[in-house]
Amino acid sequence: MIDPSMIPALLKGLDGVTWQAAVMMGISFVLFYLAIVKDYEPLLLLPIGAGCLLANLPLSPLMDEHGMLTILYRFGIENELYPLLIFVGIGALTDFGPLLENPKFVLLGAAGQFGIFLTLLLALLLGFTEKEAASIGIIGAIDGPTSIYVSGILAPHMLGPITVAAYSYMSLVPIIMPPVIYALTTKEERAIRMPYSQRRISRRTRIMFPIIVTVMVGTLVPFATPLIGMLMLGNLMKESGAVERLTKASSNEIANMVTLFLGLAIGSTMGGEKFLQTQTLFILILGLLAFGLDCAAGVFFAKILNWVTGGKVNPIIGAAGISAFPMAARVCQRLAQKENFDNFLLMHAMGANAAGQVASVVAGGVVLALMGAG
Amino acid sequence: MIHTQFLGWGLQMTMLGMGLVFTLLALLWLLLTLVLRLDREPEEAVTKEISAQEATIKAERIAALADGAVGAQTPEPPTVNGMPADLVAVILVAAHQHRQTLRRQAAPQMRTAWPGSQLFASRWLAAGRARQTHNWQPRGR
Repeated sequence: MIDPSMIPALLKGLDGVTWQAAVMMGISFVLFYLAIVKDYEPLLLLPIGAGCLLANLPLSPLMDEHGMLTILYRFGIENELYPLLIFVGIGALTDFGPLLENPKFVLLGAAGQFGIFLTLLLALLLGFTEKEAASIGIIGAIDGPTSIYVSGILAPHMLGPITVAAYSYMSLVPIIMPPVIYALTTKEERAIRMPYSQRRISRRTRIMFPIIVTVMVGTLVPFATPLIGMLMLGNLMKESGAVERLTKASSNEIANMVTLFLGLAIGSTMGGEKFLQTQTLFILILGLLAFGLDCAAGVFFAKILNWVTGGKVNPIIGAAGISAFPMAARVCQRLAQKENFDNFLLMHAMGANAAGQVASVVAGGVVLALMGAG
Repeated sequence: MIHTQFLGWGLQMTMLGMGLVFTLLALLWLLLTLVLRLDREPEEAVTKEISAQEATIKAERIAALADGAVGAQTPEPPTVNGMPADLVAVILVAAHQHRQTLRRQAAPQMRTAWPGSQLFASRWLAAGRARQTHNWQPRGR
């Protein structure tokens, strides 16, 4: 005979379902929908959705002290290993050639980081602590690994919503950027042509670039060393051509594996009780605002450059000074072509976009340095 | 009061942070410019907006230059005893073919193919075959 006391034990799972967990499961389904149907950053949103679902299932053994999700979190998020490994892959995939052809566009990358600090101010006004505000502001870097790295150090309890916001907005670049650009530029400005002067970049310069950037940034902002060091390591491997196997492994196998682990671990931080708070909503709104402000600041700065150079810079490319590489550059090119089909800004926009990649890492390091983290 | 304090701190962060980011990247710009200047590769001309007519003239000028350059690089044509090598080769092939034809048509001792061979038929054999296949005699005679 079955012991009658077993029946409540069998229904323990059903008893364990809370309304917060149910809502979070709903959110995980939304993430699945965005990843599978809408194709928005599926590589990250799908594992995040899975992590979120698995973490919110009642009495999930995966979330126990020795559960897989807990181990994945401790293994790579607590010590910032995952974002750094992903940076090696990003470096191995990024071509900094367009930036080297037009080094002055480095400044557009700097302008594209304004949103970080303006959002920080807004977050402070909304009552977030200094570290929390800095972590929210870093969503404005529009760079997933940088956001995870900085918020993991400054405000680990807000890692879930910050990561979801950072990656969601990155995938929404084609939707968020155009209205900001249209609002801040005139038709004539968008139609400005920029002649393209192709400069041959020697292999030696391409190899020297990652070394110079690492030494310079690492010396002046030591907090940025892990981020810039890994990004530039990947790029050095790619440009040197000496370690093709490592380059391929970094940009494929390692990056894919770490992306899966990272997504699951981030998803596991989205526990219902922690996630469903008013501050999560604020984080999502502020993240969106940070993105918009970044684009706006970039466009404004490009307008200043346009004025200084006597009408030679199309303000659209300023918006590419964010880090979402290369999607932001592609959006800029598309908008320029809408005004004038023969207008090709892509290489200029790619230059600004590559600068944004470096600038976002520098900004992350600067934020950490100013917050005295370490 | 607390908000004002925070705001002051935030403004300081913004000024310092953006100042640092701009300074660092401006420094990077300077360094990159220096490196590019020291390690310079030949630049390609700036693409300017030009009319179709101008473009054609320019293209023709480039083509003429290229033709000249190609001509200058072409080696002297080879000769055999003062005759162009190509012509000598053509004559050789023609002579060889003619010799083969003569041998095929020659007396049985000289033939390269036996009588009745499908490879080659002598004039005599070809005429016989043609008569057989295309008989022009009226039927019944």
